[in-house]
Amino acid sequence: MNFDLSEEQRLLKDSVERLMLDSYSFGDRRKYQTEKRGFSEAMWARYAELGLLALPFAEEHGGFGGGAVETMIVMEAFGKALILEPYFATVVLAGGLLRLGASEAQKAELIPLIAEGRTKLAFAYAEPQSRYDLVDVETRAKRDGDGWILNGSKDLVLHGDAADKIIVSARTAGDTRENDGVGLFLVDADAPGLTRRGYPTQDGLRAADITLERVRVETANVIGDPAGAFPVISRVADEAVAALCAEAVGSFTQMQAITLDYLKTREQFGKKIGSFQVLQHRAVDMFVDLEQSRSMAIYAAIMAVESDASERERAVSAAKVQIGRSAKAIGQQSIQLHGGIGMTMEHSVGHYFKHVTMLDTLFGDAEHHLRRLAALGGLSGDQRME
Amino acid sequence: MDLAFTKEERAFREEVRQFLRDNVLPEIRRKLAEGRKLAKDEIAAGARILNKRGVPTWPKEYGGAGWTLVQQYIFEEEVRAFPAQLTFGMGESLVGPVIYTFGSEVQKKYYLPRIANAEDWWCQGFSEPGAGSDLASLKTRAVRNGDRYVVDGQKIWTSGAQYADWIFCLVRTDPDVKKQQGISFLLIDLKTPGVTVRPIRLIDGDHVVNEVFFDSVRVPIENLVGEENKGWGYAKYLLGNERFGDAGVGISKERIRLAKELAERACVRGARLIDQTAFREKVAAVEVQLKALEITQLRVVASASKQQKGTQDPASSILKLRGSEVEQASAELLMDAAGPYALRDLSQEEREGRNEPPVGAYGAARSAPTYFYSRAASIYSGSSEIQKNIIAKAILGL
Amino acid sequence: MKLLVPVKRVIDANVKARVKADGSGVELANVKMAINPFDEIAVEEAIRLKEAGKAEEIVVVSIGPAQAAETLRTALAMGADRAILVKVDELVEPLGVAKVLKGVVEVERPRLVILGKQAIDDDSNQTGQMLAGLLGWAQGTFASKVEVAADRARVTREVDGGLQTVDLKLPAIITVDLRLNQPRYASLPNIMKAKKKPLDEKVPADFGADVKAKLKVIKTEEPSSRKTGVKVGSVAELVDKLKNEAGVL
Repeated sequence: MNFDLSEEQRLLKDSVERLMLDSYSFGDRRKYQTEKRGFSEAMWARYAELGLLALPFAEEHGGFGGGAVETMIVMEAFGKALILEPYFATVVLAGGLLRLGASEAQKAELIPLIAEGRTKLAFAYAEPQSRYDLVDVETRAKRDGDGWILNGSKDLVLHGDAADKIIVSARTAGDTRENDGVGLFLVDADAPGLTRRGYPTQDGLRAADITLERVRVETANVIGDPAGAFPVISRVADEAVAALCAEAVGSFTQMQAITLDYLKTREQFGKKIGSFQVLQHRAVDMFVDLEQSRSMAIYAAIMAVESDASERERAVSAAKVQIGRSAKAIGQQSIQLHGGIGMTMEHSVGHYFKHVTMLDTLFGDAEHHLRRLAALGGLSGDQRME
Repeated sequence: MDLAFTKEERAFREEVRQFLRDNVLPEIRRKLAEGRKLAKDEIAAGARILNKRGVPTWPKEYGGAGWTLVQQYIFEEEVRAFPAQLTFGMGESLVGPVIYTFGSEVQKKYYLPRIANAEDWWCQGFSEPGAGSDLASLKTRAVRNGDRYVVDGQKIWTSGAQYADWIFCLVRTDPDVKKQQGISFLLIDLKTPGVTVRPIRLIDGDHVVNEVFFDSVRVPIENLVGEENKGWGYAKYLLGNERFGDAGVGISKERIRLAKELAERACVRGARLIDQTAFREKVAAVEVQLKALEITQLRVVASASKQQKGTQDPASSILKLRGSEVEQASAELLMDAAGPYALRDLSQEEREGRNEPPVGAYGAARSAPTYFYSRAASIYSGSSEIQKNIIAKAILGL
Repeated sequence: MKLLVPVKRVIDANVKARVKADGSGVELANVKMAINPFDEIAVEEAIRLKEAGKAEEIVVVSIGPAQAAETLRTALAMGADRAILVKVDELVEPLGVAKVLKGVVEVERPRLVILGKQAIDDDSNQTGQMLAGLLGWAQGTFASKVEVAADRARVTREVDGGLQTVDLKLPAIITVDLRLNQPRYASLPNIMKAKKKPLDEKVPADFGADVKAKLKVIKTEEPSSRKTGVKVGSVAELVDKLKNEAGVL
């Protein structure tokens, strides 16, 4: 049993944290947000330079063989700085699908492009009716000679408007919500028949709604089994949740630091407000939530690569429950402790509040995961719900 | 980073399991598995067995096993899972470490082996009627008179005083200085004339705590631990140890297991309670909290060996606070699972030594007292509010 | 040419240092440590010299506890070639450090030693100068620009009131200032490479150096906190305040 970072992990953490500290102040972020695509292309190039875009891929594909713990380290640093770039969409989500589902030829072609920062990807999984259910897919893919024709619409595609290529989940067989019959299709963003409408998200990032009208995909661009991709999607979703947990912990850490700083400087009634016991206890509640979340993010990272699906899903869901509830608790406390200034766009703490609130809604909120955990029999025992 | 135990840790675990199989009496194991209480001599015999290879939590030179925190953790887990009785109480966990850290050579030689062999039972004389959360305002006085102290005053909430041979007390030896600076740490034989122990029954119907009165009790000066008026520092050290071990993960796990077991038998409109979504979600929510606590404890345990002497991982500060909340949440689950069967009060039968009821009903009947008593967890050894004050100051720097 | 770069493990510059409760020193428990920022600039300069073909090998050395190996790994991950850890658990004063470094120099025989002008923990600003004294080598301190030729180095120094350029005959000591360069981040490829680079462990006795403390710390206290400032609206107002309130003009 050990919770230490290895030498390489420590160096990675140092590097990413330093980069964030030097180039991602709240003011920098504001500037990056006004760039054409809503994030900084220059920072994207820095990530490539540091090797972060190649982090999780195998060494034979030009990656660094990083696992969930390495991703956790990077996402935590990103969460601290509240980054805008599509790292989660490109590297964690789409990268995960390629890593676990793609053929050697597809990996050999795409991974170097991602690693060098030349290609950004997105994963279109959500649909108007699907809410958090990844298998609820109505978008259809029909055989067409040696290729496929896609029809349907996808919602809330994270960074879908910045993506060069989009991986789309579509049904090749079976009824809506059936595990079998879901495939993954790699589509060029400018493919004929694909239209996308980009918009900002509540936390200042970007997403897009996508419509597919008779979009043709060559067989070479089908990722894995066209009727059996759901297990891959489900594993990637679990890894993604672990990554989101780490990102949230980074944000929580910063919210705690910003709030403590405020308690130690703001004066009312002739005293630092941090000297008041009511506020101290609120600050301690935040600290407890932060440490519990940190523990669960570590747990999720370690368990995200567990091969026993039930064990993995239970652990990941438990972590997301903790993170979702802490996002509310820490977010609300941090605003309350700041008072009026916390409600302004001018102050950073509100932006963290918005971001962690949005993290709760990605890949299942606390309630969704509590239900899944309960249905799987909870964390102890094995009474599955029939 | 790895949650799995190393090869050496797994080998140690195997050794512990073998040791328990070879040494723990089957009737003790059965009694514990059924959630019954052990008698005093059973606990003492059990302690002598578990301490065969040294007291698990003590260093080697004082009759301990000299285990690392990770080994202690594994030992504790295995003992709970077996189940065997966990500890011999306050002698081992509280006063022992104070004696080997601050006591004289004579004290170490006399008291430590007697604790390790379960010859002496100890209780803790800290709280007083007027000194609860504000412990340092305690008034029990010890006045030096030749080679004795004369002790007058009263202690309260003294767990296990009815069984104990000795009490370790915080007493005021200098009333004229700042309250923390006039306190000494004194070991008092409960058989000394002038000591009276009176029971307090708590809302769970059980007799755990007592009042202890001191009326001109003469205590030899060699029973002073460390220096006179330095007792507050020793008490802080002791409470630090207490908080560290107080996450209660094992207790909460056991309660959740029991609640699930009860819910498998309980019926709601013809279906098992365990199959009801609302109940399962309630259990899962507590399990999430417990897992977060357990991982936090593991983080603390794993980092302890690397900490500089006298410092702790900041996360350790939340173990007592959070631990008591999770213990309480798991006790609530027990109540929920038991439903109407929680109503029956078996404490009188228990006191009279009868224990005929079947295990299931027995478990349900224990749930209400467990729930009632669980409220104490956020009050004793530094209430949750005191814990928050400490964390705000020491960790958050407020 | 071989370069020697001494690096020190110090409290991370972004951490607010706190004095221990008993005043015996600065609290280091649970505090993030990092490479001394000035030393990091020295490592960066050495790597740039190597990349420019002016040097063949960069050896980094740290004198400190076992954890100083982390600091050395950081330097290796930036691009240094190998590392030497001289293990000492106690605090070592600048003279002790300089004596050990003299021993290291005699074994390694570098043509140039590049180090930070000072460490941000004790701000002594002595080690480089003492090392130059012990070795009898030329020194260029507070460098903001370094140019190296075959057996000479030209160092631009930041001094009060301007820049001074000195020409050094090698071997020499250069201590670097903040504006010399912007150190790189350790990239993943370099982190992976650093894993395979050698790190030797030594003790001061291996270099015949005595590192016993000659100074006694009497007490450590935090500086008094700064009073809240005011924003002035114009230059005239500032001049007025300086004259009439502060009384400095």
